[in-house]
Amino acid sequence: MTGKLVLTSALGIALLLTGSPLSASRKKKTVPTPAAASMDEQQRAIHALNRFTFGARPGDVDRVLATGVNNWFEQQLSPQTIDDSRLDARLAPLHTVRMSSRELARSFPSDAILKAVAEGKLPMPTEAPLKAVYTAGITRLNEKQDKKNAKFAESADLLGQSPEEMNAGQKERRQEARDHARARALDLMEQPAASRTQTLAAMDPDERRAFWRALSQDDRERLTADMQPEQKELLLSLENPVSVVNGELMQAKLLRAAYSERQLLEVMTDFWFNHFNIYLNKGADRYLITSYERDVIRANALGKFSDLLLATAKSPAMLWYLDNWQSVGPNSKAAGRNKDGKPNQGLNENYAREVMELHTLGVNGGYTQKDVTELARVLTGWTLEEPREGGGYVFRPARHEPGDKVVLGKVFHEDGEREGEAALRMLASQPATAHFICTELAQRFVSDTPPETLVQAMAKTFLDTDGDIKAILRTMFHAPEFWQASEYRAKVKTPLEFTVSAVRATGAGIVRPQGMVDALNRLGMPLYGEIPPTGYSEQAAGWVNSGALLNRINFALALGTGRLNGVQVDVSKLVPAAGDAAQTQSLLEQKLVAGGVSAQTHETIAHQQSTPAVSGRKLDDPPRPPNTGALAGLILGSPEFQRR
Amino acid sequence: MASTRRIFLRNGAMAAIGTAALPSFLTRAALAATSASPSTLAGKRLVVIFQRGAADGLNIVVPHGEAAYYSLRPTLAIPKKDVLDLDGMFGLHPALASLKPLWDEKRLAIVHAAGSPDPTRSHFDAQDYMESGTPGVKNTADGWLNRALNASESARGTSDVFRGVALGTAMPRMLSGTAPAVAVGNLSDFGVAPRSPQAQPLTETFEAMYASSVDAVLHGTAQETFDAVKMLRAADPAKYKPAPGANYPKGRFGDAMRQMAQLMKANLGVQVAFTDINGWDHHVNEGASEGQLANLLREFGGALAAFYADLGPLAQDTVIVTMSEFGRTARENGTRGTDHGHANAIFVLGGNVRGGKVYGRWPGLADEQLYEHRDLALTTDFRQVLSEAVQRQLNPEHPAAIFPGFRDPGHLHLLG
Repeated sequence: MTGKLVLTSALGIALLLTGSPLSASRKKKTVPTPAAASMDEQQRAIHALNRFTFGARPGDVDRVLATGVNNWFEQQLSPQTIDDSRLDARLAPLHTVRMSSRELARSFPSDAILKAVAEGKLPMPTEAPLKAVYTAGITRLNEKQDKKNAKFAESADLLGQSPEEMNAGQKERRQEARDHARARALDLMEQPAASRTQTLAAMDPDERRAFWRALSQDDRERLTADMQPEQKELLLSLENPVSVVNGELMQAKLLRAAYSERQLLEVMTDFWFNHFNIYLNKGADRYLITSYERDVIRANALGKFSDLLLATAKSPAMLWYLDNWQSVGPNSKAAGRNKDGKPNQGLNENYAREVMELHTLGVNGGYTQKDVTELARVLTGWTLEEPREGGGYVFRPARHEPGDKVVLGKVFHEDGEREGEAALRMLASQPATAHFICTELAQRFVSDTPPETLVQAMAKTFLDTDGDIKAILRTMFHAPEFWQASEYRAKVKTPLEFTVSAVRATGAGIVRPQGMVDALNRLGMPLYGEIPPTGYSEQAAGWVNSGALLNRINFALALGTGRLNGVQVDVSKLVPAAGDAAQTQSLLEQKLVAGGVSAQTHETIAHQQSTPAVSGRKLDDPPRPPNTGALAGLILGSPEFQRR
Repeated sequence: MASTRRIFLRNGAMAAIGTAALPSFLTRAALAATSASPSTLAGKRLVVIFQRGAADGLNIVVPHGEAAYYSLRPTLAIPKKDVLDLDGMFGLHPALASLKPLWDEKRLAIVHAAGSPDPTRSHFDAQDYMESGTPGVKNTADGWLNRALNASESARGTSDVFRGVALGTAMPRMLSGTAPAVAVGNLSDFGVAPRSPQAQPLTETFEAMYASSVDAVLHGTAQETFDAVKMLRAADPAKYKPAPGANYPKGRFGDAMRQMAQLMKANLGVQVAFTDINGWDHHVNEGASEGQLANLLREFGGALAAFYADLGPLAQDTVIVTMSEFGRTARENGTRGTDHGHANAIFVLGGNVRGGKVYGRWPGLADEQLYEHRDLALTTDFRQVLSEAVQRQLNPEHPAAIFPGFRDPGHLHLLG
């Protein structure tokens, strides 16, 4: 609990609000209803932003129009040419997103690692700050054990004691602890940040935990406000190391989605992560996903599909998640016994099945159970060294199943590690794979039910270019099906798209991830939280149900009025201070919703604004400036903002 | 306001329950709660409770008639004098005293040596399999409880919103899927800006906005949503008083069960409901008649008994099934706890349950009878229990779609 509370303050990075950017031109344009067969230039710009970014910011439409829609898309396809230094500045304090898995596992030890150190199976680090983290962690583990003991003993002791008596004593002790902690915090505030951090790190772990717990959230924030990021990370990892890694992972994901200028790269990273989905909370994956997303997914998101597939196949995160690291050839030298003498379970088909069903061919891609087993045999020996310590991929010949294998009718002669590489490259180049991948892409970018002609055109490019992802996207972008007027603002936003697009539209600053993370949990799309390898649905209509709609509306209201935990927002900056209610409403609608809202939505909001009982204003109150925050909440909760 | 009235009138099934007609809705709910009239299929309910962390079935439904139990667990076994005997062979843990009357009234049945046939001892994988309903298959996109809703179209009532409910902040895997379902952490929060003084006008504005929208998908969903908000508000969750004798224990699980009863008694069309209770992974100092497991069981059994009492006549049409991802080792370990095992005990509770009986073949606890010489062997697949419960409560048109790949050996006839 303490850890979680400290997390919010430790990640309290002061971020500049992105104010409303200057717009190149602000001609009022009325958007015709999309009855025509294709889109006009402004609609094309809006459509491109809706489909290739996490939502338009105020001014984005004009910027795209100034660049030209086609040129803008080409720029997005070459992310390295786009300056992203403002995002980099926001990411700078998040050290863990740049660390290797080994560094992460060592610097932010899991309970398993702490236990191994406590039992002398791993060495205790010698550097001072890290040693403090380990000592604190081991104390915490022991305390967990002791607490269980204490609780056990207590249940007997408490019999016969009156609850009033107990509560009074407890209350008194608690108050004492609070007063003491407060006084101590005030003393600490006298010290500069560096020595304050040192004092806190040097405290007895039990004492420090009691200290944090006794402090109020405000006092905690005050105590850490002027510290350097690494000082905050240290303090947090003294209480809960893994939360530093996972908190920064989520914060980085949100920052990139909301603020990267390389939007298409981030959208494609999100797409491929979802395609090659991994669940964060499966053991070692808590430490492996940081590198997986950075070095495997983003690094190949606009490259060749076969390279991406191979990189996921050898990634520790995937080997762990789908169990291939445990798979042992039944006739291999290692069959039956591991190095430590424990029996191993032999062949594990999980990865071999999913790589065909979910990653390449698709469920109707024409493979059999026999192919699954054969591919699993091919991939034996692809394992991990010390996964819990963040170790990497390794091929172990002793675990590899000897002999020939036949996958999809092709014979793979005994060739060790290269068998698997060849088999995966063969899968990557199958027509079924091209069709399956292009269907998913078209569902994400075009329509829940994309036209088959479009999918086939994209699949042809896939096969002609050896799976060049940029080329496939270009084919899609230039296809007439992409620009059908019926597709304009037709896709329902997923929860991630909805929440992030609201942040982008309002120019809000995500200072801490907590509020966004909670909202996404409630909306059924937790970050890195989809358990099955299938990933989240690209058919976004499935995201609309009653609970979800209320949660969207409540998110919109909370964001608009600045009550979302960890998000700073001031929508009044988007409109001139002196505007009257009607002007303010119209202007906000234009700025927040690319393409505007419907006449019905406009009228309903206007009616709400003008009704005293509704706006909370008494009849004879003098006219007040419109409440832009509440207005923004209504607009972001409107039907128009649910689509892209 | 005028537009609000209009949508209500346009909405066929709900037309009778306009703002002005709310009292009649309440009357209907009250009638349903007091009359024991035979209910229609749509009035039947299935409740599923997940004990996360792998509960120790051998110390919950104790095989006290088997000597091996006592030799396997020198410090953890429940002494014979403490066991609440059921049938001479099995007995309940003493902390489940609150459930004993339900056993005596033959409302509580137990299926022992039951669970998922997959051999995994990973919490993550085993829970995933039990929730997807496809042991050994990882890529099942939806949960079996959601598929049960999809497979039972004819059992649909007038409103879908509360048809499938999870009490908890996140949608559980078991209820995830394409059939509408809702996860509710706290009933008082089910609304637009529920804690704001402006809740009412904001609700009306959004309702009007979506009602006038030409967006067919969002329009329809919103209509259902705002109807549900009104229905729930009429049921006034903040003022709910459980029935006399329904004493829910304090804590998350008791709160969840209380709110579940409340939703059902408000006649909101709940057909399947889910919640979970954590903390069963007792590797260290599990305790015997008293201790960690005993404390958790008091909460667990107390909440179930309170829920049953609270439902009153509705209990007749409600079936509650409990499950846990796997059992625990037959032997106690070196730290006075138990490690990850295999088969477990399932509780089936309800007015129409043929209770007072331990179902399933007992495989025995002798070394050669244990699964891999360490765990209680499995003799009943959890899907066999659930298939019967789903069929009797929802009468699905497509039962095979709920547990794909499962060959049902037939009903245990747990339900009357």
